[in-house]
Amino acid sequence: MRKLIAPLLTLLLVLGLGAGIYVSVNEQLAKQGTVTVRGLIGSEKEDFFRDPRVIEALAKQGLAVEVEKAGSRQIATQFKLKDYDFAFPSGAPAAEKIKREANVNKAYEVFFTPMAVASWKLIAGILEANGIVSQRDGVYYIIDLTRLLQFVTAEKRWSDLSKNGGYNVKKSLLVGTTDVRQSNSAAMYLSLASYILNNNNIVDSAAQIGPIIQPLESLFLRQGFVENSSAAPFKDYLVMGPGKAPLVMIYEAQYLEEASRANSGVSDAMALLYPEPTIFTKHILVPFNDKGDRLGAALADDPELQKLAIEHGFRNRDAAGFRDFVKSHNLAVPDTLVNVVEPPTFEMLEQMIVMIEQRYKGN
Amino acid sequence: MNTPLRFILFIFAALMLSGCDGQKNANESLTVLAGSELKDMEPLLGDIENKTGIKLQMTYSGTLDGAEKLIAGEPTDLAWFSHGKYITLVQGDRNRILAQEKTMLSPVLLGVKESEAKAWGWSDNPNLTWRDIAAKADSGELRYAMADPASSNSGFTALVGVATALSGSSDALSIKDIDQAQLSGFFKGQQLSAGSSGWLTDAFVKEQARLNGIINYESVLMALNRDKRLDEQLVLIYPKEGIITADYPLMLINGEKREAYNKLVAYLTSPEFQQKMMEQTLRRPVIPQVKLSADFASPLLVELAFPNDLAAIDKLLFAYEDKHRRSSHAYFVLDVSGSMAGGRMQSLQTALKNLTGQDQTLSGRFSRFRSRETLTFIPFDNQVYPAKTFTINDPGSQSADMQAVRQYADSLQPLGSTGIYQALQAAYRMALEARHKDPDRFYSIVLMTDGENNAGLSEDGFAQFIAALAPRDRGIKTFTILFGDASQEGMKQLAEITEGRLFDGRESLNQAFKTIRGYQ
Repeated sequence: MRKLIAPLLTLLLVLGLGAGIYVSVNEQLAKQGTVTVRGLIGSEKEDFFRDPRVIEALAKQGLAVEVEKAGSRQIATQFKLKDYDFAFPSGAPAAEKIKREANVNKAYEVFFTPMAVASWKLIAGILEANGIVSQRDGVYYIIDLTRLLQFVTAEKRWSDLSKNGGYNVKKSLLVGTTDVRQSNSAAMYLSLASYILNNNNIVDSAAQIGPIIQPLESLFLRQGFVENSSAAPFKDYLVMGPGKAPLVMIYEAQYLEEASRANSGVSDAMALLYPEPTIFTKHILVPFNDKGDRLGAALADDPELQKLAIEHGFRNRDAAGFRDFVKSHNLAVPDTLVNVVEPPTFEMLEQMIVMIEQRYKGN
Repeated sequence: MNTPLRFILFIFAALMLSGCDGQKNANESLTVLAGSELKDMEPLLGDIENKTGIKLQMTYSGTLDGAEKLIAGEPTDLAWFSHGKYITLVQGDRNRILAQEKTMLSPVLLGVKESEAKAWGWSDNPNLTWRDIAAKADSGELRYAMADPASSNSGFTALVGVATALSGSSDALSIKDIDQAQLSGFFKGQQLSAGSSGWLTDAFVKEQARLNGIINYESVLMALNRDKRLDEQLVLIYPKEGIITADYPLMLINGEKREAYNKLVAYLTSPEFQQKMMEQTLRRPVIPQVKLSADFASPLLVELAFPNDLAAIDKLLFAYEDKHRRSSHAYFVLDVSGSMAGGRMQSLQTALKNLTGQDQTLSGRFSRFRSRETLTFIPFDNQVYPAKTFTINDPGSQSADMQAVRQYADSLQPLGSTGIYQALQAAYRMALEARHKDPDRFYSIVLMTDGENNAGLSEDGFAQFIAALAPRDRGIKTFTILFGDASQEGMKQLAEITEGRLFDGRESLNQAFKTIRGYQ
């Protein structure tokens, strides 16, 4: 045995060295012509950019991407944008804010995802018994968003609901969100709630905000401390159980990405609820220079990257590809969503957020 | 090249590259400002370094103290506390935290001795509320240990949780919701305080005979049971209104270390590390891929909302210090021997005056003398001077009470040689007499000296005096401050025989006096 070790080690060493040289030469070759692009992204896209398949597809286009994550609305206000090549926030309003801040007109609509509520079968059952949720074709829909928001704004607790077996807790009935001042997913909830409270109309004048701003504020202020970026509340949902937040406003893509993963954190006890109406979040890349521009074009146009986006739960022009993805992972997801509202204009949404911000400051 | 060979080459290349990588980064070292409750991570730091090539250099600090250092811009690469919510609120628009990622979970809970939990019907009782707990504390049956909220994250989290639960509202706490009467009842049961949750745990083990509960992280309570450090096991209580869970975010402070930070986060949140961390420290994992081991109770863990309102948190902390906690009687045995003349005396006077509300830093505001507190100063050189006692009724920094303390501090004059033990013995006699009259307060002694004993009672004589105390006269701790030329060993021993603790005041006497406030 011992006699074998020395020659074996030598062989290993030679092989190892050879491989080392082979790989580093390859790397050097690949590095020529590769541009490193640095940008700020919404946290829900981090896994996409860390996916080795995405890194490889980008490398084929001569791009290496370095990302920092931040709340999508935070990007416009708390970063020196000129230090970066691009921003890739969630939501058209956040992208608009960044475009104005950085004084750019160009933008790439890369993919989109509907807002959904991460919850539990236990909770969905209670809401079903209270006429708020209903199942069709194996998908849970929040059919009466008006009633849900009435419960929330009337400061009902879960213990006030009928047939609340298994969740008779004193917690307020609230939809958990991120910080509406920093993050797009909360701003999307605000958009949706303002539509419902404004008698199913998109808020389009300051006069319409006055009567509904108080209940809107309470949706956020009563939650207390919340996180800045969308990945955190979803991670809490995956590990902390329904006791932390029984309803969490998320992007559909976050849930689908996790549910389709090997060794997934999504369990049988969990359920995804689709509000009716819901609202789409567009994921828009704003380039600050040519490098950012190259990345935007690649993400928007390269079929391989578009396909990989679907693998991370996003929707795009390739509707058939999305259907295949859903089917192959056996997910209960509506194929098309018809009942969808538009967010208010950038100015209207900003006005509502600024008013809520004032309340946070105690004014 | 054929496929198997390519595969083998690839594996070797990967091994070699990862080897090179480790080598290249072997010297990378990051500074971490950390909560003292993270000391139990030290056995895992070697593993982290092996796997990431990053050495973590930990500097420990308390709750407000740590927040204050971060906000003041103290240079550090990372920060790691049991929760980042308060720091995030305090930083406001300063943007000191460039990124944060949760690394572990542990709720702050009450542990109660098994026999009492059974007798009170608290074992496995899903309907038990914080109100029930407050009632048992108010009646004097529940006697628990809890760390000081201004100094320690476990105490802080417990205070916020209890106040939120007792407010009767199910939302995040706001100023109008604070239920003062219920809180006073609850804190009547707090019979041991400390400035750090680790020290609190050790003190609880020593004093387990007179106490029957302790508030701390679930991980700490589970470790007490696992390591069989108590005569009686603790039952962990998960009240119906809910609890607050510490989530230990690793925070990036120095933007130049982002790459290393990402590498650390990737490892800390990997199944490999999470599994190890759960087994060794008994904290809960932050990734669903690692399943909770059977050691953990798994009731529905209702999470209370954490306030978003700094003013409410401030008010809660002050109300705790000035209204709800047991009032304390603190004895300050102060060396005014000739060697204190000059700068040393000035440091002492400043440190004392800072505690009268002159220190307006985050930590200073909450370490000032409290309403309802009695202070007795006993200056000594080779003789013990007459003691001077003050009672603080009005904790405002310009109040007559605080001004009187400041005037007194200014009047101290250095003279003579050093007779430590006779002065300390005098303090004990006074404290014992006061405790006989009014047993419901916290009694403690601070000893500040800059030299070695060279007059009066000897060290051995004092040790004999302490050893000879009747059992009912035990439990008054002496917190010693190392200063000037005092003997480190002597001061440490002195703290040990009285079950107190040594604090190093050589670098900042002011800081030492502030830190001790969490124990008084």
